[in-house]
Amino acid sequence: MTQTATPPPEPPVTPAGRNLIDRISVIWLVPLAALLVVLGVAWQAYSERGPLLEIAFDNASGVRAGTTELRYRDVTVGMVEDVSFAPGLDRVLVKVRVDQEVAPYIDGDAQFWVVRPQVTARGVTGLGTVLSGVYIEGLWDNSPGAAVTQITGLPDAPLERVGQDGLRLMLRAQGRASLVEGAPVVYRGIEVGRIGRPRITADGASAEAEALIFAPHDRLINSATRFWDTSGFSFSLGPAGAQLDFSSVAALVSGGVTFETMISGGTAARAGDDYTVYPEESAARASLFRGDDSEILTLSAVFEDNIAGLTVDAPVEWNGLRIGQVSALNGVVDEDRFGDGRVRLLVDLAIRPGRLGLEGGAGRDTALEYLHESVARGLRARLASASLLTGGLKIELVDVPDAPPAEIETIEGGDLLLPTTESEIADVSATATGVFERINALPIEEVMAEAITLMQNANALVSSSETRDIPGSVNALLDETRGVIGAPEVQALPARLDAVLTEMETLVAQIAQEALASKLSAALSDASAASQGVSDAVSGVPDLVARLDAVAQKAESVEIDALAAELTALIRSADALIAGEGAQALPGTLNTTLEELRHVLAQLREGGVVENATAALGSARDAADTFAEAGRDLPGLIAEAQAVLEQARGTLAGYAADNGVGRDARAAMREVERAARAVSSLARAIERNPNSLLLGR
Amino acid sequence: MRTARDMGLVGCTRCMRVAPLGTALCPRCGSILHSRDPMALQKVWAWWLLGLGCYIPANLYPMLETRTLVSTQSDTIVGGAVTLAQHGNWGVALIILVASVVIPVAKFLVLAGLAFGVWRGTRLSQARQHLLYEIVEYIGRWSMIDVFVVAILSSLVQLQALATITPGRASLFFALSVIFTMLSAQSFDSRMIWDSARPPDDQEDRQP
Repeated sequence: MTQTATPPPEPPVTPAGRNLIDRISVIWLVPLAALLVVLGVAWQAYSERGPLLEIAFDNASGVRAGTTELRYRDVTVGMVEDVSFAPGLDRVLVKVRVDQEVAPYIDGDAQFWVVRPQVTARGVTGLGTVLSGVYIEGLWDNSPGAAVTQITGLPDAPLERVGQDGLRLMLRAQGRASLVEGAPVVYRGIEVGRIGRPRITADGASAEAEALIFAPHDRLINSATRFWDTSGFSFSLGPAGAQLDFSSVAALVSGGVTFETMISGGTAARAGDDYTVYPEESAARASLFRGDDSEILTLSAVFEDNIAGLTVDAPVEWNGLRIGQVSALNGVVDEDRFGDGRVRLLVDLAIRPGRLGLEGGAGRDTALEYLHESVARGLRARLASASLLTGGLKIELVDVPDAPPAEIETIEGGDLLLPTTESEIADVSATATGVFERINALPIEEVMAEAITLMQNANALVSSSETRDIPGSVNALLDETRGVIGAPEVQALPARLDAVLTEMETLVAQIAQEALASKLSAALSDASAASQGVSDAVSGVPDLVARLDAVAQKAESVEIDALAAELTALIRSADALIAGEGAQALPGTLNTTLEELRHVLAQLREGGVVENATAALGSARDAADTFAEAGRDLPGLIAEAQAVLEQARGTLAGYAADNGVGRDARAAMREVERAARAVSSLARAIERNPNSLLLGR
Repeated sequence: MRTARDMGLVGCTRCMRVAPLGTALCPRCGSILHSRDPMALQKVWAWWLLGLGCYIPANLYPMLETRTLVSTQSDTIVGGAVTLAQHGNWGVALIILVASVVIPVAKFLVLAGLAFGVWRGTRLSQARQHLLYEIVEYIGRWSMIDVFVVAILSSLVQLQALATITPGRASLFFALSVIFTMLSAQSFDSRMIWDSARPPDDQEDRQP
């Protein structure tokens, strides 16, 4: 571009505006708007700012300006603005800016405390404050009140929680009872209240703590209510046996108080009433009756037997109902009254007339009157066992129907003396000892010892080498037996017997074949007329044959049957011996027997029974042969007999009436008869003792 | 020295195109053409005041709130730098201090000085004034580094219960302050530096 000579055109310059609006840029509206916003925010912040509340604390550990919050129901409703000291430096003033919406409710009744982390047996509270730092908790009611700017904070959290109302009581610990801060007040296992921080009473005698019973449980409290400590546990061994008391593990650790309204008719409790916390339930119960001394009827009783086991507070019962307790135990020596210097047991009985159930109130006098009547009817006091376990005693009032008359005496000092009767004490220890002794006396040890011995013997018997040998011996015996049976001689026996029998058979057949019978018959028929006696004599011959037959049969049945039978009997005897009760000695004897048996068998085999038998059989055969020969001779004999008979017949015919001939013939007949009888006796002898034939003896 | 105005031209401050005087709108980018913006100085002062107004709470309120398990810590800009320096982080402390304090403060001073110089005249040479203006315009955006640091930290460190970093109220004001000062610097018409150096009669002298 070349530079032109012509001057540039005059720039149009807008003349300055006459009025202000033309001369001021609209951009100024921006800072103006910013300013307005700032002012608006500032005004709003200021107008919504709540009042400043000054809370005085004993110490303000952890409270920091600008950080620590004021909370109500765990919602932040304010912020600490300043922490300073009160004049004199005795308190810390914490200035809290409270939200405007809750400020009207903070009135003179409001309570403030600093929430710090706490670790107790009941748990950990305020754990959040470990990390976030402490905060101030406020508690006030739901109605707006007169505004306050200064208020005193509490050193600790109050008993109430938000939304909890209740009855404030003052609990005073008695004896070993302990009050633990924050411990629960438990009723039937439910926490119905809480104990505040305990402190020592002004007189230093006990500790006291405020307790709050939450509504609606506060109606459980009246003037007859008694509190007792349930912390820890108690173990007692008394007339009622062993007792272990503790309510809950939590209470065991952290402590706790429970209560019960034991009698009706109490007046409603008012806030701030004083109550005593007893160490245990029994004490609490006892206190109820200690409270109305006028209603206690005190009687005394003297017991002959001075037996350990009765303690103060032991029950006094009437028909099983507890009407009082033993209030004191004393020894008494009164020679004038009892006649000797023995120490007797004097028991004071605290009887509660109310328990007697009398009509028209249970006054002391009414009760005494009633007791007078009862004693007249036979009411007596006696010692009785209360607990079998501990041997504790109690006093029983019983009606003894045929008791000697007595009455309630009034002795020196105004004491009333109740008549007593025999004690009824179950001596458990004695009974138990008896039982144990009886058990002890049982001969258990002997029985056991015998059983052990028996077992040992059985064991020894079974395991003894001799018993173990039995099977071997039996085996050997059987072997021997088998050997005997298997011996060639025995094997040969049947054959031999067979031969004997054959011979016998032949003999008999010969006899049959000889037709002697017919001849004899003829002879006999001839002789029959002559003499009956001859006939009788001849009639012995078939008998002889029958006998010989029997002999043969015997000889047949004798052989192995008998031997076998005897062996069987022997084995059976051995068997019986083995099965016998004399088992102790058995094996040895058995063995010996078996040994002998074997020996016998060995002898039998070696020596000769078989040979003997064979010989016997041989003899038998000889005998049979002899018989056969005899038989063979028989025709001759018979012929002779025939001749004789013919002679006799001739003679008889000749001398029929001759006495002399008849006499000779009779003598001959007698000879024949004798011969026949001899044969018969021989046959009978053989029949009687066939073995003799066999054995040759 | 001849200016565009002397040559009967008007330059577009946005796209740098020159157009004949009297052209209302830039033929290229369409922005309004002023040979000299009569309201420029007012805009500069308005944004400058706003920026300064925001810079005050930006330094009073905490810039960064660090909540850890056991403590809550809130630091202002200077306080944070001092804490860092106390822990020995001199380098980081210096960077923060320069970026968040030195530069904004210098920017306020320079802008005010330039605007005053244009209005009433100054002893500084035009070249130097222009150099200062260039530096202010260039370096102004770096002040945002602190805002970036806060933004990054607070988005990264969000471990709920353990540790949480949240930007404090100052971060908003600081960002606004930086924005307003940048706008202020942008509103400044650097051509006026050159106008102010020339006596008004000079213009007429040169007119033939």
